[in-house]
Amino acid sequence: MALTSVEAFHSPADKASVVQLLQKHEDNALIVAGGTFLHGLASRGLLTGIEVLIDIQNSGLDNITINTDNVVIGATTRFAQLETSQEIAQEAWLGAVKDAIAYPPIQIMNSATVGGSIASSCPFFDLPTSFLALNGAAQAHGPDGSRDIPLEEFFSGLFENSLAPAEFVTAIKLPQPPANSASAFIKLETNANDLAIVNAAVALTLDAEKKCRQARVFVGGGMGETPVRASAAENLLTGAVVDEDSIAGAGEAAKSGVDPISDHRASAEYRAAMAKVLVEKALRKALARVD
Amino acid sequence: MKQIIQLDVNDEVHEIAVQPYDSLLRALRETLGLNASKRGCDSGGCGCCTVLLDGKAVYSCMTMAMQVKDRKVTTVEGLGKVAGLDPIQQAFIDADAVQCGYCTCGIMMAAKQLLAENPNPDEDAIRKGISGNLCRCTGYQKIIEAIQLASER
Ligand code: FES
Ligand code: FES
Repeated sequence: MALTSVEAFHSPADKASVVQLLQKHEDNALIVAGGTFLHGLASRGLLTGIEVLIDIQNSGLDNITINTDNVVIGATTRFAQLETSQEIAQEAWLGAVKDAIAYPPIQIMNSATVGGSIASSCPFFDLPTSFLALNGAAQAHGPDGSRDIPLEEFFSGLFENSLAPAEFVTAIKLPQPPANSASAFIKLETNANDLAIVNAAVALTLDAEKKCRQARVFVGGGMGETPVRASAAENLLTGAVVDEDSIAGAGEAAKSGVDPISDHRASAEYRAAMAKVLVEKALRKALARVD
Repeated sequence: MKQIIQLDVNDEVHEIAVQPYDSLLRALRETLGLNASKRGCDSGGCGCCTVLLDGKAVYSCMTMAMQVKDRKVTTVEGLGKVAGLDPIQQAFIDADAVQCGYCTCGIMMAAKQLLAENPNPDEDAIRKGISGNLCRCTGYQKIIEAIQLASER
């Protein structure tokens, strides 16, 4: 599906030039990178009036930086780059990221970018659910410089986010959790190349007695306009020993806390039932990773 | 407005005029007349437009021609000729892995990356390697055998 309204294609070499183009073309400009969801947005009628494409793949935003207190993943980092990162493969606390990129076919791995998975603000995507569980923030750059927007604020609605005019996503930041932390993600899909029916991501931190110090639980894939935080499940887990009883309780709490949509992929009832199953499985998977 | 770009396809540099919204697939088929890469869904769902970009499999329907400047594109036309087929092409013939053939070029390109990175893939790795490609004749078993055969040669 060609975006025939597009009249110009730019490939700026740095962030400042991106902002200048965004200021000049305002709502008629669209940031692109891997391009794997352009069709998805266009077919939903979300790209009418786009006249200028700004490709940020040559803007120097494709680095993964490991700091002592966080991991910063540049916006145009491709999924395939994440897959080959040692840290992401080995760190238990980043398990939910590793899990989320185990699903896409190679063509998507080679093209899709981390920034695009966030900026599209699509509630059916996988990495956003993982990044939310990991308490991630989007780094945005605009006319007034850079700022971090916690992802829970960033996703403001269906295909909507809280970027200000002429701002764009330059990175995702994941804060390093305390020791004894691990995370996991699970997706339910009809085939390898489809959006999630339901997905779930959890992040756990245990204390010395193996009790849960902190839990973050998110479910996505048609749960609502954005992935949804299962606060009741988190509350139930916090302070408890994570075992089959508390896992079942958390699954049930996640199910009662969601109000999913019905569409051609699945009914709301099925999604709610699967939210429970996926949260339970993701919790077991994360638990097994805490050492 | 059309713009002139240089496109390096199968080790030959072409100077072509493209619209800023043209996909690489469109440039290949309609401007360069390279018709091996097929247009199935034109939206990243079927894989029959798969080409290699700097050796990596991508959907050419989702890649914009303007994004490909300075990068190397490989299509099935660049794999081998009738006299001197690529091992993967020969394996598809020998394993009878082609029915209507619409998916074949895309699957061979996905298999090229797979075999380049993993010369001896097991069946799971092969299934994963072509999970972004649909065969509507559903001849997956023969396709997997063909890729196995190519890996053994
Ligand atoms: S035509 Fe490109 S994936 Fe179907
Ligand atoms: S051989 Fe017909 S689609 Fe695969």
